[in-house]
This record gives sequence, C-alpha cells and structure tokens, in this order.
Amino acid sequence: MIIFEEELKRFQPIPEVSQAEDAIYSNDLKDISDIVFQVTEEMKTASVDAANRMVGRVRR
Amino acid sequence: MATKRPVLCPNCGAHVKKNGYCSACHMPLPVLKKAFNTSDYYYNIGYDRAVARDLSGAIDSLNISLRYNKKNIMSRNLLGLVYYEMGEIVNALSQWVMSVNYQSTGNLASKYLKELRQDPTLLSNVDQIAQKYNQALSYAKSEDFDLAIIQLKSVLSANPHFVKGYLLLALLYINSDNYERARTTLRRVLKIDKANTLAIHYLHEMGDTDENIIEMSKESVENDGLLEADEEAITLSSAGETGGSKIRLFFSDLIERYKAKAVSRGEYGEISFAKYSGIYVLLGIILGIFLLFFIVVPAQKRKIINEKDELIKAYSEELADKNATITSLTNEIANLNLELETAKNPQKAGDNPLPDYSDIQNGMSDDDLQNMIKNE
Repeated sequence: MIIFEEELKRFQPIPEVSQAEDAIYSNDLKDISDIVFQVTEEMKTASVDAANRMVGRVRR
Repeated sequence: MATKRPVLCPNCGAHVKKNGYCSACHMPLPVLKKAFNTSDYYYNIGYDRAVARDLSGAIDSLNISLRYNKKNIMSRNLLGLVYYEMGEIVNALSQWVMSVNYQSTGNLASKYLKELRQDPTLLSNVDQIAQKYNQALSYAKSEDFDLAIIQLKSVLSANPHFVKGYLLLALLYINSDNYERARTTLRRVLKIDKANTLAIHYLHEMGDTDENIIEMSKESVENDGLLEADEEAITLSSAGETGGSKIRLFFSDLIERYKAKAVSRGEYGEISFAKYSGIYVLLGIILGIFLLFFIVVPAQKRKIINEKDELIKAYSEELADKNATITSLTNEIANLNLELETAKNPQKAGDNPLPDYSDIQNGMSDDDLQNMIKNE
C-alpha cells in the first residue's frame, strides 16, 4: 500500500549549484584511516597521561 | 647484495617502522592495507553494478568503498559519473572536486571538470533544473499536483536522465490513480537504473510481478509519449567486455556521451543568425509590402469611396431640396405675375364675355332660363 504522504517524505530537495560547496563539505566523510588515526591519538594521549601519573606516584 | 626498498605509509607517505607502524602518523600498516584492499573490493563491485546499469547499487558499493578509503580516486570518479548519469550533476561535481583535491595530477576528474567549465550554459541549466525540481517537490507537498507534474515534465525534458524526477512523477501519477502513466514513467527509471529499489517497490505495489518488471525494463521507452520532447534512450553498450579494458570502455562510453551532449549544446549555442539577417530583412519588407497592398490600401480605398458616396448622397438631397424650392418659388412668381397683371387691367377683367346663352334658341323654356341665370 502506497501512502502518498509517507512516500513523499523520501524525496528531499536536491542541492543547487550555489550549494555545491556545502555538498562537498558534507560529503567529507571519515574513513578507516581517520578512525584509526583518531584511536591512535587517543591511545597516545592516554599513555602519556598514564606515564605522567606513574611519574607523579614515584616522586611522591 | 640487493637493497631493501623502504615501505612507505599509504596514508602519509612516510617510512614505516619495523614494528609495522608509520613513523609520522603512527598508523598500523596492516590495518591500512586491509582497509585499502576492502575499498578496492567494493570499488570492483560498484564498477560491475555500474556496467550492469544497477546504478543505485553501484552508488551503495562505491560509498562503502569510500568509507574504507576516502582517497580512492577511482571510486570517487566512478561515483561522480554514476551521479552524472542519474542526472544529479551537483553531486557528481562535488565528487569530482574532492577527487581532484586528493590527487591533482593524472586524475580523470580534472578532465570532467574542465569539460564542465568549458560549457557555461550547462551549469546554469543544471541550476535551473535543480530549482524547478525543488519547486515541483514543494508543489507536491502543498498538494498542487497538476503544477508539480507540469514542472517535473519540464525538468525531465531538460534532463531526461534525472531518476529522482521520474520517481516523483510516478508517485504523483499513482496518487492520481493514473497507473498506466506511472508504469511508463517507472519504465524510464528502469532503463536508466535497472534495479532502482523505489521504482520496483512502486511497481510491486501496483500489482506487477518480478517477471513483468523484467519484461518492462526491456521494453523501449522511445515514443512512449511521457514527455513532450522525448530524447533517445541511451543504452550502455559496454556490457560484455572483460578485464581492464572494461573500465576504460565504460569511462570512454560515458565521456563520449557526455562529450556528444556538450558538443550538441555547443552547436546550438553557436548558431549564428547573422548570415540570415539579410533574408529576414527581405522577408520583412515583402511582408510589409504585402500588408500595405492587400490590407491597408484596400481598406483606405473602401473608406474613401464610402466617404464620397456619403458626400454625393448629401449633395443630392440638398440639390433635390433646392430644386423643390425653385419650383415652388417659380410657381409663386407666376401666380404673382398673374395677379399683378389682373390688378393692372381691371376693365379687361370686366370684359368678360357674358354667358353663352345661344342654346336658349334651341327650345329652352323660360323656367330653365331663369334657373340657369340663377345658377350663374
């Protein structure tokens, strides 16, 4: 059963040429490299923090 | 002794350390390699789907490919071409621009962008098509269905490969219970994108079986009367080719088609009407003379004749009046002359001869004579 109003919601306005720049920025997705890089950075930060904590404990 | 070639990071190009991590970005090489291989794998699937004209499937696969490696130039370029084929030019442009941004040299996308830049009318047309489609969508949402259909037909005449436009048009036809038109519209969608899920969903809802849909997609869409200005249905001829030449053929086919469109647009744009200007002026003069001699002059003549007739009639009436006056005055003069003459000679008037009584001699009686005198 096709419910017109529901089906119409599937259709969205398409970008005009003047909005191409926005379309480009919105298309800049994250790939595996970005995710791995992000995880690596987080791990690095976490290890630095842990090392700092260790140093602090030792000094005390 | 053979020198060992240094392993470079596919992400940043720096040296990879012995532990398998990049010295600059610290990315694990095995993970990156796996991700890039998966990206290529999905690119191949996307390519096969594009060749089989399953364009929406190709878009899905190429998007997954880019999720694994957003710098996969081939995936981006092919995604742009698929978007272009489906009439979504702005999306195609954005993919190509990003592709050129990642790799500026030796990139096919720069060729596409250059071609687009050489045709300034194309971008304005694309803009108009997008505006009209968005307007049609807003008409449909505000239940102005007739206006929406007219606007969509105009959009599809300008861009006969615009799949989203056909789908919206089909939905509007279904809503107005015009199922035959909806089928014709969806057939066009299936000619461009063989496995369009929305088109197949609508056809299923209208009671078509899978066999019907397969048969329908094989039928010709030429002269189906859907749009006022139909264009030839374009069929992909590169199916059946194998190996590495497949992609070249596919690209060249699309590019050639694109070029053909661009050239035809260029020809229309460059038609010079200057050489026909003399003929147009001559035709204008002839038409002017024709109008002057066959329409203006006879009308003027008729007007003048009518005016003359009116004048003659007026003068005739005046003349008749004058003649009548002259006649009456002449009669009056004659009477007055007579009266004058009578007044001048009264004795002559008295010399009127006596009544003729000569008949008396012919046996008239005295009484008769008396009566006659009395009467006299």
